Parts: sequence; structure tokens; C-alpha cells
Amino acid sequence: MPASKIHTVKQTLHVIGQRTPKIDGPTKVTGEALYTDDMRLPGMLYCKIARSPHPHARIRSIDASAALAIEGVHAVITGKDLPVPYGILGWSRDEHALCLDKARHVGDAVAAVAAESEALAVRAVDALVIEYEVLPPVLSIDDAKTLVDEPVNGRARSGNVLKRVELEFGDLKGEFAKSDKIFEADYFFHGTTHAAIEPHCAIAKVDGASRLTVWSSTQVPHYLHRELALVLGLEESRIRVVQPNLGGAFGGKSEPFDLEFCVAKLALITGHPVKCLYTREEVFYSHRGRHPMRMHFETGVDAEGKLTAVRSKIEMDGGAYASFGVVTTYYSGQLMTAPYALPAYAFDSTRYYTNKPACGPKRGHGTVQPRFAFEVQLDEIAHDLHIDPIELRRRNFIGDFTETINGQRITSNGFLECLAAVEKASDWKARRSSLPAGVGLGVAGSMYISGTNYPIYPNDMPQSGVQAQIDRSGRVTLFSGASDIGQGSNSMLASIACEELGVDRRDVVVVSSDTDLCPVDLGAYSSRVTFMAGNACVDACRHLRTQILEVLRSEWHIDEPLDIFAGEVRTKDGKHRLPVKEAFRLAEARLGSLGSMGWYNTPKLGGEYKGGSIGASPAYSFTAHVAEVEVDRETGLVDVKRVWIAHDCGRALNPMTVEGQMEGSAYMGFAETLFEEHAVDARGLHLGPNLLDYRLPTPLDTPDFEAHIVETFDPEGPYGAKEAGEGPLHSVIPAIANAIFHATGARLRELPFTPAKVLAALRATSIPERLPPLEP
Amino acid sequence: MKTLVSLDVNGRTYEIAVSPELTLLEALRYELGLTGSKQGCDKGDCGACTVLVDDRPTLACLTLAVAVQGRKVRTVESLAQANVLHPLQDAFDQHGAAQCGFCTPGILMSAVSLLEQGGDAPDRLSIKKALSGNLCRCTGYTKIIDAVEDVAANTSSPGPPGHTGS
Amino acid sequence: MLPLPPFAYHRPRDLEEAVALLSELGPDAKLIAGGTDLLPNMKHGLLAPKHLIALDAISDLDRVEVLDDGSLSIGALTRLSDLAVHPTIRVLIPVLAEAAAEVASPQIRNMGTIGGNVCLDTRCVYYNQTQFWRSALGFCLKKDGDTCHVVKGGKQCVAACVGDTVPALIVLGAAARVLGPEGMRAVPLEALYTTPGSDHLKLARNEVIVRFEVPRPGERLRSGFFKLRLRRSIDFSSFSIAAALRLDGRTIQDLKLAAVALNSKPRVLNAEKLGVLGQDLTKEVMSHIGEQFQRRATPLDNINVDSQWRKEVIAVLVRRLLERVSAVGAQTASVSS
Ligand SMILES: Cc1cc2nc3c(=O)[nH]c(=O)nc-3n(C[C@H](O)[C@H](O)[C@H](O)COP(=O)(O)OP(=O)(O)OC[C@H]3O[C@@H](n4cnc5c(N)ncnc54)[C@H](O)[C@@H]3O)c2cc1C
Ligand code: SF4
Ligand code: FES
Ligand code: FES
Repeated sequence: MPASKIHTVKQTLHVIGQRTPKIDGPTKVTGEALYTDDMRLPGMLYCKIARSPHPHARIRSIDASAALAIEGVHAVITGKDLPVPYGILGWSRDEHALCLDKARHVGDAVAAVAAESEALAVRAVDALVIEYEVLPPVLSIDDAKTLVDEPVNGRARSGNVLKRVELEFGDLKGEFAKSDKIFEADYFFHGTTHAAIEPHCAIAKVDGASRLTVWSSTQVPHYLHRELALVLGLEESRIRVVQPNLGGAFGGKSEPFDLEFCVAKLALITGHPVKCLYTREEVFYSHRGRHPMRMHFETGVDAEGKLTAVRSKIEMDGGAYASFGVVTTYYSGQLMTAPYALPAYAFDSTRYYTNKPACGPKRGHGTVQPRFAFEVQLDEIAHDLHIDPIELRRRNFIGDFTETINGQRITSNGFLECLAAVEKASDWKARRSSLPAGVGLGVAGSMYISGTNYPIYPNDMPQSGVQAQIDRSGRVTLFSGASDIGQGSNSMLASIACEELGVDRRDVVVVSSDTDLCPVDLGAYSSRVTFMAGNACVDACRHLRTQILEVLRSEWHIDEPLDIFAGEVRTKDGKHRLPVKEAFRLAEARLGSLGSMGWYNTPKLGGEYKGGSIGASPAYSFTAHVAEVEVDRETGLVDVKRVWIAHDCGRALNPMTVEGQMEGSAYMGFAETLFEEHAVDARGLHLGPNLLDYRLPTPLDTPDFEAHIVETFDPEGPYGAKEAGEGPLHSVIPAIANAIFHATGARLRELPFTPAKVLAALRATSIPERLPPLEP
Repeated sequence: MKTLVSLDVNGRTYEIAVSPELTLLEALRYELGLTGSKQGCDKGDCGACTVLVDDRPTLACLTLAVAVQGRKVRTVESLAQANVLHPLQDAFDQHGAAQCGFCTPGILMSAVSLLEQGGDAPDRLSIKKALSGNLCRCTGYTKIIDAVEDVAANTSSPGPPGHTGS
Repeated sequence: MLPLPPFAYHRPRDLEEAVALLSELGPDAKLIAGGTDLLPNMKHGLLAPKHLIALDAISDLDRVEVLDDGSLSIGALTRLSDLAVHPTIRVLIPVLAEAAAEVASPQIRNMGTIGGNVCLDTRCVYYNQTQFWRSALGFCLKKDGDTCHVVKGGKQCVAACVGDTVPALIVLGAAARVLGPEGMRAVPLEALYTTPGSDHLKLARNEVIVRFEVPRPGERLRSGFFKLRLRRSIDFSSFSIAAALRLDGRTIQDLKLAAVALNSKPRVLNAEKLGVLGQDLTKEVMSHIGEQFQRRATPLDNINVDSQWRKEVIAVLVRRLLERVSAVGAQTASVSS
């Protein structure tokens, strides 16, 4: 594996760190930006997928004759047409584009049709005669443990267990024995889903040269590329995957889905372009959202509130397929070892298969749930020990440039600054003790990865590549496989080119997420894009910069350092200056056509044990939230009035987009705390797979978010940057839980906090006197 | 059976043959190629398809194309004039109010209608109310409300185009 | 996309033509006003009328007028957003403006009409779902099936009447003016609803609601509306309650409460039934009324909000509404029409 490259921070920055509108902002506000469903190809057919109405059933037979008899119906395919299994993780390829033998959840894909209109395709699906043999469904973790005669998925290790991870670090027994007090409780995190506003859509086309192009609303074009080749039995070099503008993803589009294989196969069969657009209901069935987790946490402390040992036992309801589940199982334990120092730590996590839509990576993959549990437990400890909850967290701070108990390398760490920022902004000290009953403030903290050094398929190639090209008009074109899913990664790349090459933003073009045109980037997941594609882009642009400056130094016969900014190359004293566009032409004349490849790979990281590299990140981000709530004691309705977010993102390459990520993350966490529930009932039916029953908060429900950026300049991140897209979700949830406790004395350990649950908890609580103010 | 209808969209008249069951959203997106208006649910739950019909925010997914004959339809494509962004579009861009941008056309149309109502500059609560039929999954709404507030505070509202006497 | 089933579209120019069309086309025809209830239901395969008869080309159906005798006339096609801001309605009968303002979302209020709201199909978590979802459930009594999932073993659909303006119109003593082949008739709003939830409107298939008549509110009328919902917008009711109250000093002269989002009929109680006529409206009496109402209202699992919790909070919600309504002064200003 090539060594990683560490970019030292330049002295003066001109573009990086500025609030800059996004390069695709104008086309998004005019409605010109094309999303997958905005494309229409001549002769295009429409695909609809027939789905199982049973949570668990063997497919006896499929009779397509009536469907095929409808005029305008071109083809019907079933599992037999796509028999090769796939899966985002190579070692758990446990799903088929269309079920081969049995259906594993309501909504599982069974057959697909292509017809000349969507309405016709719907009719054709209705005309399919599918015979099922209904099997007893496994609909809960308890079912999964007992109903093992007909396992949900044949890939299970044993029974319905996909994966169990047990790891222990430090002297757990000894540390617990030393503890002055041990706190123990059960917590529950419910299922929630991404609910991007754009439903999944894919279009496939085969050209005269038998090359297949798939346009898809995916956040992982590279993995989709690989899996398409695998399942279709085509060479990768004959497939092109393009991700058009994407209408939100959040982890919900980070693996291949049935529709992509179906449109590709149908295009190959019919010779027509084929489109498939999910209905909103299908989006809910494709899911891959937050795993419901039952969690038991046990935490020991000394009399000063210093943590001694933490042990968790976690059970996850994973749904019908593995998805990223093996990673989820690790993440649920591996990412809990900061920002607090843990002298000893152990976790035991198990992910079960059930007959429900598969869970996967939703923003904050695998860690949002245990983080909720642990941060609530910390609040319980603080309350019990009469220590201010912010102070308790400070006392246990792990520090920067250190290592966690499970062997993860921590670089920059601004957690204390995050705590200070939310403490100050919320006027914590004064208001915590003076708020009227029913109103409360709660705090929580967290950490998250900036990508991991663990590629999904083992290989030693770079995680991200960027190509930069300069043409004679003075324009810089960047080619990047990274997926802009709304988070603004293309704009981030453009900013880097502007910084390094002194060009105006209007003179940067970013060509992204097209496997024909762009070097590979592994995808928009694990908060890796800014860190990895950013570093690759710095690498590409620095090559060019160095070359161009060298040409000018020799042209000007000088030796001193030069700077490029605001469209000019110049010496410090300004004696020599030249517009960059001319500099580019000069350099091209001297050196030949200008272009360069940059890339990034992570250094070798992680503990020396099995699974030690899962969750090992080149840098960790840190977050603290304070939430203010008002609880209606007669109804149990909770109103979150305000949320203060402080996030250590390393350097904020563009504070405006960092704030956008912080606000959006806090929104999503807030929403799952109080509003959303992806629930499946005792029949295996989703309780309301639509945006009316699944309540995303509207503007009127959403509190004001106040984002405070904390900068720490990470040595490995591009210009010192770390992630900002997922970390700021985590701690808002326990902050709200802790605020409800502060407001009412009711301790909530089971999400979501529906008014019914809150009211029941209020009734069970004798409201305590507000605690006297605590010394800092 | 298809009937010939004449639709007034963004000041231009389109004559198209439609089936009665075609929604305005399908007509705009798939017949007229005006793909700015988006579909997030197709049944009234999300607001991504919001357009103005006779100046009022309306859900195109629950409107029949045949029913808007004789009415004026305005979509996001009408806002920028000769490549100059509408002040709201500019503010959305400058504030970073569009992340994935999928909700943006619908939200812009609700916001345009709010500002066209004239009167005092709306406060944050009124803005939230006006946008309360539009879901955004990316932004947490903060920057969207900032952008609308900014424009409301800095422009005198002209009223809808074509309306006289202000 | 959720394709609509095919249909023919008719746009009559006057009411008589509409009624004639309804009679002529029979049970395959359906009126469409704003379409915000009908079209989602058609997209869900709950009904597939072969003919839609649009009311929007008929003039004067969207007028709000105060008549000489002080009563109000509200055209059936009046849009909810217009009702919500109508100055006369806001002053004279705020309960109706408040109710209209709480429906759905701004866009849907721009489209939806009061007539459509009153005729809104009953709702149920097992019914307002796609064709596919209902097939996975095995359907239900109300449509294509033979069991009820709300009342296990129930023989009758109990889907909920949830139109927010319904309780408001009821407490105002409003009547619907209905045109049919036989001519015009008046139906008190309260008498419009019946059981079961699968057929909850006492309206013939060929009748059209033309307008609503609200008796003269008089100077002492106080009224108000409260809607319980988990989201502040884009959310149907979990419990909506309207109150109309006349006080003489503090003495209850007249009180009417009506609620929806229970079962297929609104729950209506007046001062007499509550046993508070002539009593002073004290804090205790308000609590007592709340408890009385709670006792007689039974939220069901037809709505996806915990029915036990809804039951528990009804007393509080009713009390709070009474507190609010009795605290503001009765309207006394004279309003010009
Ligand atoms: C996302 C969403 C949220 C919603 N939230 C709410 C809510 O919170 N509260 C609420 O009350 N409603 C809600 N609705 C339902 C609906 O929008 C409103 O009830 C609206 O008022 C219906 O009016 P309409 O004109 O659109 O009715 P339409 O859909 O046109 O008609 C509804 C029914 O009434 C019949 N009808 C209409 N007019 C007449 C007439 N004059 N005479 C006889 N029959 C007639 C029609 O034949 C049809 O059966 C919601 C709808 C959606 C899609
Ligand atoms: S109440 Fe029963 S019969 Fe009626 S819609 Fe609901 S499940 Fe069906
Ligand atoms: S697409 Fe029209 S409201 Fe969602
Ligand atoms: S910007 Fe993505 S949904 Fe609003």
C-alpha cells in the first residue's frame, strides 16, 4: 500500500475558511439541476417491481402470461434472471435483486416488468400471478432467538444471528471492583429511516456497442459499478455508472438496490432504455435505516465522577438482509471510547436477522444508538453524584493526540471547546438553576469518524483520486469520483482548486461521480469525502501549483516563494505579478499540457486485534449539544425550544456549509427523538410507509438551531479539516432526553419520546426539587 | 381518452393532449419538460411539487392538468428573468439554503407567494407558517428561513407580476 | 408516481347540470371540489369513479355573505385558506376560521374547500394506505375485505370522521343546503353524519352541497377550536374540539361542544347534557366539563396516535379550550359585510 500523504497547513489561506456559496447553488435554485427522474430518453420503458405482501414466504410460482399479454408490456423478469447474490460487504452477499427462493419482508422484490408507461407497468404488476407458501415470520429480536427452524436468511452464522462481536479492553473486573459506584440501566433506540425527499430512481441504457450505462440516485457509484458487473456477469469496463444530482441520501442510497439491477437487466433484454422510480412506499421498504437496538449499559465511577469501566450489551434488530450490518455491529461498540477516557471497556453486540426491511447505515451509522444510551447514563451519574453534567464530561475528557483504550488514534480534539461553546451560548450556568419547572436544559457530547481506513473490499489502492486539468481558457476542471449528495462536496473540491491555483470559482468545473470520466472515490459514506477527496484534490492541485510557480520563478529569474490568489501570481513585494490565466498558458508552453492526478489513502490505523481497524479513522470529530425543552406536564407534549450545537470539524473549509451540516444533523436527530418511528407491526406490516404517517418535522415543529464551529486544525485533514456531516447528529438526542429530565425529573430511556410515554413517565415521577446550583 | 387542453404556464401557452387522469405535476415534468417541480410523495404530504396557480401555492401532484385550463400556472422556471436570479433565489444561494436542492423549487414557490402578499415584512414565525407545507430533509430549515427573512427585510414587495396598482 | 385510475372529466356550468349529471351517470360518478381528499384516495385505489364532476366552473359557490337577518351563508366551494382569513368570520365565528386554519398545510388549504372538508371520507390507519399495503394486510370491511382491524371481530366500520371544520359548523348550529333532483333541502350538520364509517354521510349520491347556513351568531357568542396533532402542519387531527358558548355574566346560558377524530360520527354535547346549564363557568366547572366530555368520548386505534393517551388528555384539552374561549371577550363589534 502506498504511504499516506500528510498535507501541512499553508500559512495564508484566501478561499478556504470563507463563507462561499456552493458552485451548484444557482442551478439548484433555478430548478435546472437535473436529478435522475428528470431525465427522459427516447424510447424509454418504465419498470415497476412486484413486491411480496408477506413478511416471510417461499415463492412457489410466478405466472407472467397475463402481464405479458397486455399491449405495451415488453418484458417480465424474476429472480431466475438475476441469480447472482450481492451485498455491499463482500463477506455478506446475502441478497438477490429479485428474490430467488423466498421473500423476507413485506415489500421484498419478487419480479419486475418493463412497459411503455408507468401506468401500464403498474397494471402489468397487478396481472402477475404469484403463488406463495407463507412461512412463520420472525418479527422481533426475541423471535429471532427462538424461531430458528426456518431462519430468515441462509447467510446467518447460526440461527438468525448475522454477527456477534465481543471485545474487552483493559482490566474490566479490576476497574469495576475499584469503582465507588456502578450505574446500570436498559435503553432502547427505535427504528428510523432517512426519508430523503427524492425517492430512489434509476435509468439504464445499452448502446450500440453493448455498453451499459446506469444513471442512479446512488451515493456509491463505485460500489454500484462493481456489483452491477458481478450480478449481470458483465465486465466492469463495459459498464458506466453516473450519479446525476441527488435529492438527499443520508446513508439511504449507499448500497445497490433492486431497481438498479432490474433496469439494467430489462434494458439488456428489451434493447430500450428503462427507468424505475420508487414510490414513497418503496423507499420505506428499501430502508437501510437506523437499527432498533436494545442496550444495557453498566458504568463504574469513582467518587469524583471519573469513569472507571464501561460495559455494554447490545442487541440489534437488523431486518432481512445484512447490508452494512457486520460493520454496524462493530461500530456500536468500537466508536464509544472517546471523548471520555475509559480505563476499561467491553462490549458484546449481536445483530439479528428479522423479517423486516433491512436496516443499514443512517447518518451516524451504528453509534447514534449507544451514544444516546451512554450519554443519558452519564447524566444519571452526574445527577446522582451532584456534579454538573458539563463538569462531569470535562473531568473525563480523553485529551488530544492520544490513543483510546481500544487502540484508536485520536489526533486533534476540540471537545472541551465544544462544551465551553454550548455552555456559554446557552447561558447554562445561570439558566440551569433558574428556569421555571417544566423547562429544562440538557447536555450531551459525542465523537465520530472522518472516514475509516477500512475499504469495503480489501485492497491497497487509494480511497480517493482526483484529476485536475487546466485548459487554455484559464479554467480548471476537476474530475472526482466522489458523490455530491447535497452536502456540497463538489463545492469543497472547487474551493481547494481556487485556493491552490488562484482561480475564480466561476473558472472551476467539477465533473463528478461518473465512472467513465472520474478516478475512483469509494463513495459518500462514513463521513469520508471532505477528508479523503479533499486530500486527493489538494494533492492534484499542489502538483500543478508547484509546476506553475517553478516556471514563473525561472521566467522571472528569481528564487523567492510566490503566492497565487485573486487571479494573480505574485511575489511577496508585488514587483512581479501575472494573471493566473497567463501563467497557465506560459506553463503549458514550457511544460506541455497541464494536468495531474492526486490521491489519498489512509495510513495504517487501528488496534492489533480482529476488528481493530473497523472504526479506526484518520481523524475524529467531536460534538456537544445543549437542548432546551419545555414539557407540557398535563399532556406530555415536549417542545424543543432551542438547540445549541458546537462541533469540532478541524478547519471549517467553508463555514456556511459546515453550519448547514450541523443544523441538518441536529434536525435529523431531533426528529427521531420526538417524531419519527419506522415500525413494523405484529403482522410484519410497516405502520405507515408514507410521509404523512412517518412525521418529518415541518418548519413549524423545528426549533432554532445555533451552530458554533470549533476549529482544531487536524494534522492529517485537508487544511486541517475533519468531518461535519454526521457527528453533529449524535448528541442532540441524549441532550433532549437529559433536558426533559432537568425540566421534569422524568428519566426517559426508551425512544421515541412520544407524548404518551412522556406522560406516563411524568406520572411515575415524583417531581424533585430543582437541585441547588452546583459549583463549577 | 385524451382531450386537447391549453395550459398557461409561466406566461406561455401550451396546447397539449392529456388524459383527464394526468396530474399537473406529470404534465409539467413529463409532457412540457419543466422538471423543476419535484415529486417526493405524489399525494400531498411533502410540498416538493408546489407551484403557483393563480398566484396561490398549490400542490401539482393533487391537481388535474385539465383543471388548470384558464388559470395561470407559475413554476420555479419562471423566477429567474433573463438569467438574473430572483432575489429569493439569490438569497437561497448566498445563504446555503439549498443543500440537495430537491425541496428548493417548491419552497421557493411558497416563499414567493408569501412575499407577494405585501404588507409588513414577515417575521420568522410567519415565514415558518408560510413554508409549513414544505418538507426539507437536509437543512433543518434554519438557512431557508434566514434567506427568506433576509429578502423580506430588504425588498419592497412588488406583488405578483401582471397585477397593477400598487 | 401513484397513477390515477382513468376517468372522464366533466365540468358543468351550473348546479342543475351537476345534479343532472350525477343522476344520469349513477354510482360511477363523483363530485370533485379541491380534490385533496378524493385524488389521494383514488391514488390509493380506494375508489375508482368512472366520471369526475368538477364544481369549480360553477359561479358563486365560493361566496361568504352576511344576510339581512344576521345569519351567514358560506358557499360550499369556499376555500379553507379564504375562510381562515375572512375578516367577518374571524370576528363573528372565530371557531370556523381557527378550524379552517388548522387543516393540512397552506397549499392544501388553498386547494381544499369547506364542502369537501365536510364530506371528507372517514379515515383509518388500515384504510388510507396503498392498494399494495392493504393487500398485504388482507384488506378490511370498509373496502374489499371482511374484517375490521380496529375493533377485532367488529361487524361495522368505525373509521374516523376527521374534517376539522365539522365540529366548528356543528357548534355554530349550521345547516348544509343540499340540492338534489327533488330540489333543495336543509340538513343540520349534526344530522349529516351517521354510522358506519364506510357510509357515514346522509347524503344521496346525486346531491350536491351548495352552501352552509350559520344562524345569526349574536353578540354574546364566544367560540373557539382546538386541534390535537403531533405535527403542527401536514397532520390530520388526533382529536379536534370546537366550543360555542354564551355567558350571562359568568352564568352559562348556552354551551355546545363537538369533537371529531373519534369514530365515524362527531361527538356532540351541550350544556344540558353536561348538566351545567345555568351554572357559573368557574375553574372547577370547566374541569368538570372536561371530565364529562372525556368520559363520553372514545378514541379508537383508527388513528396512528396512541388512543389511550388521546383519551387521557381529552379532559385537559377541553378545559383549556373553555378557559381560552371564556377569557376573551365576546365579539361585540358590528361587522359590515
Ligand atoms: C396531506 C393531507 C393532509 C390533510 N390534512 C387534513 C386535516 O388536517 N384536516 C382535514 O380536515 N382535512 C385534511 N386533509 C383532507 C382534505 O384536504 C380536506 O379535508 C379538504 O377540505 C377537502 O376538500 P376538497 O375540496 O379538496 O375535497 P375533495 O377531495 O374535492 O372532495 C372530498 C369529498 O367530498 C365530496 N364533495 C366535495 N364537494 C362537495 C359538495 N359541494 N357536495 C357534495 N359532495 C362534495 C367529493 O365528492 C369527495 O367525496 C388533508 C389532505 C391531505 C392530502
Ligand atoms: S375501522 Fe375497521 S373497517 Fe373501517 S377502515 Fe378501519 S379497519 Fe377498515
Ligand atoms: S409530491 Fe406533491 S406534495 Fe409531495
Ligand atoms: S435541501 Fe435537500 S430536501 Fe431540502
